[in-house]
Amino acid sequence: MNFDFSEDQHEIKRTARDLLASRSSFAKVREAAESHTYDPALWSELVELGWPGIAIAEEHGGQGLGAVELAILCEELGYALAASPFLSTVLAAEAIGAGGSVEQQRQWLPGLASGEITGALGAVGGLVGDAAEAAVIVLIGDDGVARVVARADADVTEVDAIDPTRRAARVYAPPTHGEALGGDDPQAGIDRATIAVAAELVGVSQRALEMTLAYVKDRKQFDTPVGAYQAVSHKCAQMLKDTEGARSATYYGAWAADAGADGPGLPEPASLAKAAASDGARDTAANAIQAHGGIGFTWEADVHWLYKRAQVDAALLGTSGVHRKRLAALVSARLAPAVA
Amino acid sequence: MDLTFSDAEAQFRDELRAWFENNDPGPMPEGEDASYAWRRDWQRRLADDRYAAVHWPEQYGGRGATITQSAIFFEELGRARRPLPANVLGILLAGPTIMTFGTDEQKDRYLAPILTAEEIWCQGFSEPDAGSDLAALKTRAVRDPAHPDEWVVTGQKVWTSGAQHSKWCMLVARTDFDAPKHKGLTYFLMDMEQPGVQVRPLVQITGEPEFNELFIEGARIPDENVLGGVGNGWKVALTTLMNERSGLAFFLQVRLRQLLDELIEEAAERGLLDDPVVADKLGYLHMKAEILRLTAYRGLTTIEKYGTPGPEGSLTKWMWSETNQELAQFAADLIGPDALTNGNRWAYELLRSRGNTIEGGTTEILKNIVAERVLGLPRLKGAA
Repeated sequence: MNFDFSEDQHEIKRTARDLLASRSSFAKVREAAESHTYDPALWSELVELGWPGIAIAEEHGGQGLGAVELAILCEELGYALAASPFLSTVLAAEAIGAGGSVEQQRQWLPGLASGEITGALGAVGGLVGDAAEAAVIVLIGDDGVARVVARADADVTEVDAIDPTRRAARVYAPPTHGEALGGDDPQAGIDRATIAVAAELVGVSQRALEMTLAYVKDRKQFDTPVGAYQAVSHKCAQMLKDTEGARSATYYGAWAADAGADGPGLPEPASLAKAAASDGARDTAANAIQAHGGIGFTWEADVHWLYKRAQVDAALLGTSGVHRKRLAALVSARLAPAVA
Repeated sequence: MDLTFSDAEAQFRDELRAWFENNDPGPMPEGEDASYAWRRDWQRRLADDRYAAVHWPEQYGGRGATITQSAIFFEELGRARRPLPANVLGILLAGPTIMTFGTDEQKDRYLAPILTAEEIWCQGFSEPDAGSDLAALKTRAVRDPAHPDEWVVTGQKVWTSGAQHSKWCMLVARTDFDAPKHKGLTYFLMDMEQPGVQVRPLVQITGEPEFNELFIEGARIPDENVLGGVGNGWKVALTTLMNERSGLAFFLQVRLRQLLDELIEEAAERGLLDDPVVADKLGYLHMKAEILRLTAYRGLTTIEKYGTPGPEGSLTKWMWSETNQELAQFAADLIGPDALTNGNRWAYELLRSRGNTIEGGTTEILKNIVAERVLGLPRLKGAA
C-alpha cells in the first residue's frame, strides 16, 4: 500500500503551487473579484500548460493522466483561489469523458482539452459555474439524468453569487434540447467531477489553515502571540484535523476513480470525498475568520474569499447532506441487501 | 498512489485470517479473574505461533513485521473479534522500551515472559497531582544508605491499568531533587510482588475496575532495574509514550467500524433508515469512520516512506475517540430506553466511551501537541 503521490505527481503539485503563487496572488484574485472579470492571461497560461486537458484521453487531445493528477491541480487552484473557468471546464470534461457516449466525447473533449471552449456542469436551477461563457453545459435534471446541452440550446441567466471570484448562473433547458450522457455509466462522470470539486475544497481549506497560522503567530495580545492561547491554538489544531481528514477522503476518491474495476467503485468514495471536503473547508474557512478576529470580518482582509469559495463549492454537485444520505443508503444496502 | 496491499501484505493477511479461523478462544467467561485468565491463555496461543507481538524482532519471538504488517495484524484481530492479548502494555510499551534502552541482561530477563503473558506489566506514570505533566511527578526513589545498590521508593500512582494482575511496573520516579524538574527523573522496572506495593482498584463509570491506584511505601528496587540510566527517565518515558500512540489505531478503527455496521443493521431492522435524520447521522458517522481509516493509512505510508510520522499521525487517536463517542451517543438516541439498561451493550459503550477522550492522552493534550509540534505555534509559558 502506498497512500502518497508518485514523484511525478509531487512535481506536478510543486509546479502548480509555484506558478500560481506568482500568477494568481490574492491581489490578482481581488482584482478579478472586484472587476467581475477573469484575467485572460492566467487562463491562456493554464491552457498552454495543457491543464484543462490533464485528465482527458490523449485520443481527444488531452494529456491522458488520471483523476489523481486532476485532483492535484484542482487543489492547487483552490489553494490559490484562482479566478478562472478551470474547474467548470474540467467538471464538464470529466462528466463527458467518463459518462458520455463516444460521439459526445468526440464532439466536445478536444475543444475542452485545448481550451478552445470552456464547459460547465451543474443541476437545473442550481448555481452552475461559468455557464454563460461555456460552449457546452452538462445539466443534471431533477430526475438525476444528466444531459449534454450546447450553450445555444440552454436558457442561462447570470447570478451574482456570494463568491465573486467566479461566475455563476442558473441554467434551464427544455427537455427536448440536448441529449442524455450516453456512456455505459453516466453517473461515473458525475462522481469523478464531484471528486474534483472536493479537491478544490481541500485546497481552500489548506490555504485557510496556513493564512491563519501565519496570522496568529504574528498577532500579539498582552505581549503574547495569540496562537499561544489554547482557545486559538486548539482551533488551529481542529482546522488541521478537518483539512487532513478531507484530504484523506479526497485522495482516496481520486485513487478509486483511477483504480476503476480494481478499486472500491466510485459512488461511495465520491460521496465520502464531497461530504468530508465540503464540511471541512466550510468549517476551516469559518474558523479562519474567527481566528483573525475583527480584521477577518472585513472586506480588506482576504479570508472572506476563502469562506465564499468554500460555501459555493460545498453547494456544487450535492451538499454534504445529500452525500451523507447517499452514503447511508450505499452502506446499508451493502450490509443488508434484503432489508434495504 | 496505490491503496491496494502488496502481494506479500495480502498473503500475510490471508495467513492471519486462516490462523484466527482455526484459533477460536470461545466465549469469554464472566468475572474479572476468570476473563483475565482466559485472555492470558489467548495470548499464549498467539505467542506459540509468534503472533503475540508481530512487530518485535524475530530474535525476541516476534516476526519483525513492518509497520504496515503490524497494522494488518491489528485489523485482522479486530475483524476476527478476538481480544487484545492480556499483556498489551507489556507488548506495546514495556517490551519496545526495554529493547531500545535495556542492557543485554535486561533484554534476556524480561522480554520472553512478556510475550507469553507469564509476567504482566503495568505503567506507573500518572500521579494524582501530575496528570499529563510528567515533570511534576512526586514519587521519590532514594538510595538506601545501608544498601547503596538499592533504591527505596515512596509515592502514589493512579490510573494504573492492569496493576492487579501485574508482576512488573514501568515506574517513573524522581531521583534528583535539585535538578531541573524533568532532569531528575529515573525509569525503573519495579517488582509489584513485594511488601511496600499496594494496589487498590478504582471502579470506573461502567462499574468495572479496569484500573487502579498504586500506593508505594518503602518498596525496593535494585540498581540493575534502572532502565536507560539514572536521571534519564524523561527520555525513556517519552519513548514509551510514543509507542503508546502508534499501535492500537487499527484495532480501534476496526472495532468502531463493526459497531457502526451493527448500528446500521439495527436501524434497518427497526425500519428507521428512511428517516432522513437517521440516514443523515449514519452517513455522517460512516464518513467519520472512513476518514479515520484513511487517515491512519496515510500515516502508515508516511512512516514507511519517510521514517517519521506526518501530521496525520497525530490526528487518528483524536478522530477515533471523538467518533466513538458520537457513535455511542447516537446509538442511545436511536435505540432509546432499551440502550439505557445495565447489561445492554450500547449502554456499556455509552459509558465506556467517555473515557476515550481522556485515556492515552486527553484531547486537550493532543491538541496542544498538534498545535506546537505540527503547526509550530508558540507555547504558552507554563502550559504542557
